[in-house]
Amino acid sequence: MSERSLSGRAAEDRDGLTPVLRILGLWKVRAPRLLAGGVLSLLALMAGLVLMRGAGARIGGLVFGGAVAGLVLLRASGVARVVLRYVERLVTHDAMFRALADIRVWFFRRLAGGAAAGLGFRRAGDLLSRLVSDVEALDGLYLRIMVPLAGACVVLPFLVMAVLPVDPGLAVIVDGLFMVGAFVLPLAAALMGRREAAILTHRLADLRVGVLDLVTGLREIRAFGAEGRMVSHARARDDALLRGQARQARLLAMMGGASYLCGQAAVLAVLAAILGVGLGPIPAARGVGLLFLVIAGFESAGGLTRAGALAGGISRAAARVVAVGETDGPPVSVGTRPAPSGTDIRFEQVSFRWQADRPAVFDGLTLEIRQGARVAILGPSGIGKSTLAALLLKVAAPDAGRILLGGEDLATLESGSVRQRMAWLSQATHLFADTIRANLLLGRPDATEADLWTALDRAQVGDVVRALPEGLDAWLGEGGASLSGGQGRRIALARTLLSDAPILILDEPATGLDAETEREFLTTLYDVTAGRTVILIAHRLVGVEKLDRVWRLSDGKAVAASV
Amino acid sequence: MSGDKMVMRAWTRAQSRLGRRQAMPVMACGMLAGLVAVGQAWCVAAILAKGLVGSGMAAWPGAGSLLAALAGLAVLRALFMAGGDVFAARAGRSARRRLRNAVLEAILRGGPALLRRRHSAELTALAVDRIEALDGFFARWIPASVLWVAVPGLIAALAALVQPGAAGIMILCGLAVPVGQAVFGIGAAVASRNQFLAMTRLQARFLDRVRGIATIVLLNRADDEAGRLAQAADELRRRTMKVLRVAFLSSASIDCAMVVALVLIVVRDGGIVAVLRQGGASGPLAEAAARSLFVLLLVPEFFAPLRALALAYQDRAHASGAASAMGELPEGTAADTPAGDAVPHLSDDGVSVDFEHVTFAWDAARGPVLTDLSFSVRAGEILTLVGPSGAGKSTIIEMLLGFIVPDSGRVMVGGVDLAAMAPATQSGLISWIGQKPVLFAGTLRENILFARPDADEAALRAALRAASVDRFAADLPQGLDTPIGEGGFGLSGGQAQRVAIARAYLKDAPLLLLDEPTAHLDPETEREIFASLRILAQGRTVILSSHAAGVRAFAGPCLDLGALRCAEQVTGQMAPAEEGHVHV
Repeated sequence: MSERSLSGRAAEDRDGLTPVLRILGLWKVRAPRLLAGGVLSLLALMAGLVLMRGAGARIGGLVFGGAVAGLVLLRASGVARVVLRYVERLVTHDAMFRALADIRVWFFRRLAGGAAAGLGFRRAGDLLSRLVSDVEALDGLYLRIMVPLAGACVVLPFLVMAVLPVDPGLAVIVDGLFMVGAFVLPLAAALMGRREAAILTHRLADLRVGVLDLVTGLREIRAFGAEGRMVSHARARDDALLRGQARQARLLAMMGGASYLCGQAAVLAVLAAILGVGLGPIPAARGVGLLFLVIAGFESAGGLTRAGALAGGISRAAARVVAVGETDGPPVSVGTRPAPSGTDIRFEQVSFRWQADRPAVFDGLTLEIRQGARVAILGPSGIGKSTLAALLLKVAAPDAGRILLGGEDLATLESGSVRQRMAWLSQATHLFADTIRANLLLGRPDATEADLWTALDRAQVGDVVRALPEGLDAWLGEGGASLSGGQGRRIALARTLLSDAPILILDEPATGLDAETEREFLTTLYDVTAGRTVILIAHRLVGVEKLDRVWRLSDGKAVAASV
Repeated sequence: MSGDKMVMRAWTRAQSRLGRRQAMPVMACGMLAGLVAVGQAWCVAAILAKGLVGSGMAAWPGAGSLLAALAGLAVLRALFMAGGDVFAARAGRSARRRLRNAVLEAILRGGPALLRRRHSAELTALAVDRIEALDGFFARWIPASVLWVAVPGLIAALAALVQPGAAGIMILCGLAVPVGQAVFGIGAAVASRNQFLAMTRLQARFLDRVRGIATIVLLNRADDEAGRLAQAADELRRRTMKVLRVAFLSSASIDCAMVVALVLIVVRDGGIVAVLRQGGASGPLAEAAARSLFVLLLVPEFFAPLRALALAYQDRAHASGAASAMGELPEGTAADTPAGDAVPHLSDDGVSVDFEHVTFAWDAARGPVLTDLSFSVRAGEILTLVGPSGAGKSTIIEMLLGFIVPDSGRVMVGGVDLAAMAPATQSGLISWIGQKPVLFAGTLRENILFARPDADEAALRAALRAASVDRFAADLPQGLDTPIGEGGFGLSGGQAQRVAIARAYLKDAPLLLLDEPTAHLDPETEREIFASLRILAQGRTVILSSHAAGVRAFAGPCLDLGALRCAEQVTGQMAPAEEGHVHV
């Protein structure tokens, strides 16, 4: 919506080598393939150099006399070059894509690790950009920088060994030019283009965020007639991206030209040596071989200057990928012990606020929920009912006081284990773009078909699903779009009921249900949850709930109310 | 499938035509660079030949000038190369700007109905990544498709002047390239489309899961999802490799052709030169040497445009793939949509709404949700929609919003068919709060002003009061300027709901559509909202869908979609207007 850069706070994305080294560390698993690719690349390079040198030597020999490189060598190196180059590209690219897939999975796991409270202020579009574009940019690290750099390091001694015996002066010039073209110029390009390339990664992410905003809010845009505004926002982001790309293209072109001129300067040097102008003279036969070698050698290192110009973008992409998971969310104490078998819940003098500048949600809250009890937690909106659930699920940790589960302090228990004991229906239904079956199985992956139907019936939505042509395999669109709001809510409810967790936390389960369905559901809730703790979070009671206890939240504390 | 292919080809051809103008400078630079390359090869060959003849390599007057000429040509070549790159990048950028604009406008034209067919990540990938991938088509393929004939043709012609035989070898080997392209390129377009599908699926899956990541984490399913993401990523890898394999094969075939040409020429010329050398005469030897060196040095230059063609072939495949994706978006430009100029009749009390024999089915297989529904709402009335979920209440509201059109029958607002109105007129009539209102990342103020950016402070404050937002806004650290995250992060469910209500109120439109406005709200706030709604409803027509008990307090007609669903066929009638009963 606003014009600010929305793709993450730049201060967090530490630049420099640290993120790149981290990425390389993640690639260690694929090291054999990556190394194999690198070796093949070097072999292909050598074959190419041998081929060119041989061709030159043969011509030189034929024309000027002297040893003639055998045709066999030419043919062999020619074939070797073609085959090796093809295989090398296959292997390097395949290895790289496997490594990138690994990074994508790592990225998701890290994101999930810190996202129990949701995305917070992060933008889903920005995270998508990191997963897709930034990870993709990392392939340049291997394919365009590391492998060619290794190649250049091999070509350099080859050149030295070839030219030095012929003419030391020429060797100095040619090798010096090679080092400039393969190492100095790319470095200069990297330094010059670093800022620009880094900004470009953000601009691409901004464009993605802007377009995603536009697409997600299509209904709001249509209803409020905001098409013109949103399109011009998106267009502005696109223009910013294109402008940045224009600048980078100019730098790339300049660097490409400079690298080419380096190579040509070396060619000139060899020719001058052959003629005896300023250098040499060197025997023409060898000179021709050297000429071809120099041409081939510089060509192999030609891509490095462009890669240098892009290096800034690669390092920024690495920083953005690695920065995920560094928490945006509230701090949580990491416990290590598994959750106990008892499921008594006690809040003891708990105080909590989400942010330092927000008012306190809880201030000395004390409440108790016995194992197997049915409890309602009531209160006006914003009072902290959902926050209670968040604290129980270890999404956030209390600022003061403690929460006990089965007699043990929640802070010492391992989060995953705690969450296994609880099934939670959130206030905002989240259904995934998948089949009904897949959505339900999220609650319990090993549920049988019968279990699924039972859960659906208990949530009062079984008939609706039966009426669908594909039944359980019906596709729920984005956010459950192919069902009505109330039906979607009930599917989410079925998912929660399906799980066999001993504690059920239902946050406004009847939102979007008409009064009759609500009454039916709440009436059967008692029966279907026999033996489990049920925490019902709501604004008000309908009257049919069979509750053991009702707590009312106000002023940051809980007050027991009459049932 | 053939129709699809024809569409793809037509689109690609049209784009080629549009891109050609921008590509002309690139082609010009390429041709000039080719000419310079010939000059460079000639210089080098001449120098080497002189080196042969010159007995003892004594300093020879022309040497310095030839070297200088070579240096100058190198600079010229560098300039043409850099210039070509810059022009190519510019061609790519202007095409991308044009196409991205077109895609965004098509998405807006398609409107919310698009979201039912496509995931938001798919549409975003189309607008962002697909278009980025088309850069190569305009920057590399279009110039390459001309240069691959022009430059090698030029080079071969000039080489033929010197050594027809070698030129013949070059041309023969060069012809292998397009043949190889044709052979390897079969299925390249399909492979590219599959690759993009895999990428879109990966993106859609990730975005979908990320939006509900809290649910996944709290259900302890993060590992499972990571596993499935790994599968999707691996699928992407395999499909990308398929596309690249084609590119590599064609590149290898060119390498092959080049090596064969090189070796053949070396063998052929070597024979000639060896004979001459035996002869001893240095004059013809030098000439022959110069000629064969010249031709030999031309071989890489001859194959360079062909190699560029092979590299760009992948871009062409991307374009074909994009063509079919573009085809799924609504056609036409903004000028094409019939700008209906029907103007609804507005009275002091708002607008009247009439549904006449409206039938609609979301999905043909599921059956119609509204069958022959007719009802009328007079201006200034508050109509309540009741009925179980799935009965069609939201459908009616979406129809009034223009998100969907009836399969049969018509919707009249202000006495005028909605379909005959321009979209701008339509959206000017209505204000809306949906069941899952979307709040954007930004400040509260920005979100509310989204409805009417030029609203003044008084109107804003009135909307805040009516929606009970002022009660909690004062507690926020920066009041109305508090930033909230995507989807309303930072506010509780009820607070976010009230912000959406304030937004709907601010718009000040004659027809107010409220779909479950009091979800997530406690009874007291609900009462407040309904109270202010009654005041706000003066001078407006309101259509309200709600399960809330408080809705019963509204005097006004009610449309009970529930009772109608008892029978198999849904037919519409109006509940008795005077009584104000709510049938449940």
